[in-house]
Amino acid sequence: MAIRSFFLFILFFSSSLSPVFSLYEDQVGLMDWHQQYIGKVKQAVFSSQRAGRKRVVVSTEENVIASLDLRHGEIFWRHLLGADDVIDGIDIGLGKYVITLSSGGSILRSWNLPDGQMVWESSLQGPKHSKSFLLVPTNLKFDKDNLLVVFSNGRLHAISCIDGEVLWKKDFEAESFEVQQVILPPGSDLIHVVGFAALSQFEMYQINAKNGELLKHESASFSSGFSGQVSLVSTETVVALDSTGSILLTISFQDGKISSQQTPISNLVEDSLGPAVIIPSSVSGIFAIKTDAVTIFIRVIGKGNLEVVEKTTHEIAVSDALSISEDQQAFALIQHASSEIHLTVKLAHDWDGNLLKESVKMDRQRGLVHKVFINNYIRTDRSYGFRVLIVMEDHSLLLLQQGEIVWSREDGLASIIDVTTSELPVERDGVSVAKVEHNLFEWLKGHMLKLKGTLMLASPEDMAAIQSMRLKSSEKSKMTRDHNGFRKLLIVLTRAGKLFALHTGDGRIVWSYLLRSLHKSEACQSPIGLNLYQWQVPHHHAMDENPSVLVVSRCGPSSDTSGVLSFVDTYTGKELSSLSLDHAVVQVIPLPYTDSTEQRLHLLIDADKHAHLYPKTSGALSIFKREFSNIYWYSVEDQNGIIKGHALKCKCTGEVADEFCFDTRDLWSVVFPSESEKTIATVTRKLNEVVHTQAKVVADQDVMYKYISRNLLFVATVAPKGSGEIGSVTPEESWLVAYLIDTVTGRILHRVTHHGSQGPVHAVFSENWVVYHYFNLRAHRYEMSVIEIYDQSRADNKDVWKLVLGKHNLTSPISLFSRPEVITKSQSYFFTHSLKAIAVTSTAKGITSKQLLLGTIGDQVLALDKRFLDPRRTVNPTQLEKEEGIIPLTESLPIIPQSYVTHALRVEGLRGIITVPAKLESTTLVFAHGVDLFFTQLAPSRTYDSLTEDFSYALLLITIVALVAAIFVTWRLSERKELQEKWSFYSAFASQSTFSSLHFSDN
Amino acid sequence: MAFSCKNSSKFNGFSSCIKMVMVGTSTIMMQQRTLAMEASLCVKKSKKKGADSVTRPNSQISAAMAAVTPLLLLLLLSSAPSFSSGSRNAYNINGRVKIPQGLGTKGYALPGRMSNVKVLLNGGQNITFLRPDGYFSFHNIPAGTHLIEVSAIGYFFSPVRVDVSARNPGKVQAALTENRKGLSELVLEPLREEQYYEIREPFSIMSLLKSPMGLMVGFMLAVAFLMPKLVENMDPEEMRRAQEEMRSQGVPSLSSLLPGGARN
Repeated sequence: MAIRSFFLFILFFSSSLSPVFSLYEDQVGLMDWHQQYIGKVKQAVFSSQRAGRKRVVVSTEENVIASLDLRHGEIFWRHLLGADDVIDGIDIGLGKYVITLSSGGSILRSWNLPDGQMVWESSLQGPKHSKSFLLVPTNLKFDKDNLLVVFSNGRLHAISCIDGEVLWKKDFEAESFEVQQVILPPGSDLIHVVGFAALSQFEMYQINAKNGELLKHESASFSSGFSGQVSLVSTETVVALDSTGSILLTISFQDGKISSQQTPISNLVEDSLGPAVIIPSSVSGIFAIKTDAVTIFIRVIGKGNLEVVEKTTHEIAVSDALSISEDQQAFALIQHASSEIHLTVKLAHDWDGNLLKESVKMDRQRGLVHKVFINNYIRTDRSYGFRVLIVMEDHSLLLLQQGEIVWSREDGLASIIDVTTSELPVERDGVSVAKVEHNLFEWLKGHMLKLKGTLMLASPEDMAAIQSMRLKSSEKSKMTRDHNGFRKLLIVLTRAGKLFALHTGDGRIVWSYLLRSLHKSEACQSPIGLNLYQWQVPHHHAMDENPSVLVVSRCGPSSDTSGVLSFVDTYTGKELSSLSLDHAVVQVIPLPYTDSTEQRLHLLIDADKHAHLYPKTSGALSIFKREFSNIYWYSVEDQNGIIKGHALKCKCTGEVADEFCFDTRDLWSVVFPSESEKTIATVTRKLNEVVHTQAKVVADQDVMYKYISRNLLFVATVAPKGSGEIGSVTPEESWLVAYLIDTVTGRILHRVTHHGSQGPVHAVFSENWVVYHYFNLRAHRYEMSVIEIYDQSRADNKDVWKLVLGKHNLTSPISLFSRPEVITKSQSYFFTHSLKAIAVTSTAKGITSKQLLLGTIGDQVLALDKRFLDPRRTVNPTQLEKEEGIIPLTESLPIIPQSYVTHALRVEGLRGIITVPAKLESTTLVFAHGVDLFFTQLAPSRTYDSLTEDFSYALLLITIVALVAAIFVTWRLSERKELQEKWSFYSAFASQSTFSSLHFSDN
Repeated sequence: MAFSCKNSSKFNGFSSCIKMVMVGTSTIMMQQRTLAMEASLCVKKSKKKGADSVTRPNSQISAAMAAVTPLLLLLLLSSAPSFSSGSRNAYNINGRVKIPQGLGTKGYALPGRMSNVKVLLNGGQNITFLRPDGYFSFHNIPAGTHLIEVSAIGYFFSPVRVDVSARNPGKVQAALTENRKGLSELVLEPLREEQYYEIREPFSIMSLLKSPMGLMVGFMLAVAFLMPKLVENMDPEEMRRAQEEMRSQGVPSLSSLLPGGARN
């Protein structure tokens, strides 16, 4: 008996636990795509290797260091450092090591240039925080070893380039000393460290590069003080601005003697310009200052004589200097002119002569040039050619050479803020965009090839042909809506303030638009994009309108700066309109109502707790007034640990009175005791989630009713001590409390404390359950818990007769103000990995079972069946429960490698996972974004409503043909046999009729 | 099992200790008394050298030592009652990731080339990479219990619980959290390989037969060839009776079902 049940168990287990998401290796790229990015480039260093492929090494604002192919812009290798490990400087040492300084100058790493393997890592400490500098001198030798000079944290280090050993170090401990420049004059063994002390003191230290010995220390006092950065104009001269920003100080320290000269800016330019700032550059003899409107280039002649060489009101970008020969330095300058950019390459000592002057057509959607990096090469005729790498306002990276854009990378996509989707146009006459279907013969040929593949008869060439045919299926990249709803547009908003529309079929950029409203302007100093909302989704009576999205942004980092709304057409990528609001945007509430043109109503809450209705039309207002008393929302104040519920009160009173503005009132508030609890996570259900059935039939024919409410909020709080990193707190002084709060009444429906646990908490809420991930300090493992909430008031609706006679309360209206009788069930499991994001699959009608999508710390996305997080799991489920599909309880959740949605890929720097239902009920679309982008289709319960991609139509055809042939053959045979039988019967009848009749009568 | 998270264990005996102290004196001015004490500590350490077990290639000893020495000095000094420092509760964790030869044949990470392996402390608070020989280190970690995770495509690593003790400076305890196995040294090995793709079954007659089309053909064949056999094996009398019945009901034969059979 035991053996039998064990066998049954194994049978069940093997059938139920087989991963639902699984992929054959040759299916990679069929339904998924993966794009690799690096982010906005901060610094670029060109590899000067003569042989081999040309590379450029870049560091970015996403903390990526990468080696790019200079020919095509592809990534050779790439490393994403930690979030706090901001890169301060990169350089190439000895021609084969990439040196990076990061974490505020405290970590120095060396990477092998060809393959990106880390060679060594050094930790640099120092007495105090300071600016950091990384210098890789080419001529400073020390026992056959090149020296690196690093200034960080108030300490100067000399480090071996080969193994990262610190050879000597020197502290600059003077309290107020602020380093401004570290200078290595070429051809000498001296290091100059210059900086300011006590606001008005200029200090210069001269240090022996061989042993770190202090040779000289000079200081001079400037009564007017300093402001901003200094610019180095030669190895012994710096230029600084005084504290008012109107006088230029030229300070030289030749031979250790400090001498200076003051030049008011007004002496150089006639009209007064207001305070200026120095633009840091490394071009010798020239520096630039910038005021609000004007950029001025100034040349330093001799000892402190200044001369204006150019004054421009255009937006301008300057590269660092590039030594092209012993005494010549070149630099690149880019100026904007309407739809073109002008690139000029000049020699440092000769401003008027241009080495190169080119104009390049530039897409306006890329904005301004932010950074320029110059590199030279030797042409076939032995003259110098120049190529420049430019970083644009939208964070894209372009290589210009010979007046053309050689390649470009859309690296703005590495920093996505928000994602939404949009349908594609319906296929109509004249709308079709993709090429026409290929003819029947090709279709048959393709399927014959596939059949060959299935029967293992295909040659390698055939296999390659099959693979490319599958990948390049024109079907998936068409620009029209498809029957299954697989083809959509992903609208993404990036940190640069650019909108991209990506096609879900192949991930290509359909259009991109640099939001004009996110441009810096007088009124809006530092605009930042916040969120994307679906503004208009035409499907019923506004079919002719194009769908549009709403981009909410605001003018500054703090939440009380005024907001900006933009409306963008998702078919064309054009901005329909934009609104500069006179109020702030603290919260945006999309309401579940649409007006006559299918525009969704949105409620914007400002800093003074007024609610503003958009769109501002009378139609919207009348709909809104009808639902006036049914609108509730909540707000979370993280600092004070308060959650408040709000409702609308009346029209605005006071100075901002307009029809669309409403006063609000506080309904309830939940205050967490600040000494014991700190809110770290709040999660609600997705607004557009569809629940198919409210009832859940359990094994013993019992029914449980899910408590489904859109107004449930999950809140997790931790002990204030335990809100830090893992390892900073002991289990005894840390706890985590999970709440389920009704956001209409403020009622706490459920509360559970996990002792000895801490954050970070990642949670997802769907239907009637919430799953959250946290750290258990006692077991020192991550845990995931599930809470399911059921409605008890309906639990007695089990009697069929009651249902038939209508004596049930299923149709009675539900009010959240009546006290709900709910029961909760919960269970916890161990989980191996840290999480970065969590999401749940969503399908069109909510019938398909759910999978959790876990973004792990290794930047992979794991699909985990919700069945593993079922509070009804027990160690020994009964036979009935097994039949229902309950999995025996295990201590930890399984990690099945085949259920990694991202298979063998990484979504580097994973930040978010978005799921969108397809029209086909079985399928959900998954988009994961971080530094990389990844998209795929998932079928959590397999594709039960469509044929799989590898379904062989040819085999079906052949079978049908074979069956028809067999029918004809058997018909022939049968006919012949019948004829024969008839002949034999008649002949036998004729000869033996009497005998047989006798024989029968005998019996 | 405890082991040292400092590199001191590998240094050979007294001479290296002296050297360390000398480096130390050049950076931090120190009293003679504490100097002597530290030297004696070093001697003690070198005697039970075998017990401690973090290993490091020789070429990097000096580099690491230079970086670590001032720290180590502070750690050792913390036992002296007269000394107190704000930065003394910062430690280093050194370890090694080892992917056994023989594994890694699937092409995700070739043995020896581990540039895509990341080591993460406390859920991504610190991230570091491997040196060519598989060693890694975290710098300036406060005392406490930490979690180290290894992210490598193609391998499953268990997270490791690491206790950095403040009372017993430099001692680190480690245990795999998946199976609660203690580690005698911080050498992390994958628990298993991860195979992300289903293996495509090679073509076989069985799989073809099991497909819906195969079943259709099989059923038809069975009907065409086995049914007559069954009919043959029936009792002739019963068959006759059945035939009679059929004739009386006028059940058409196969040939008469088809259009061609109509002429009979």
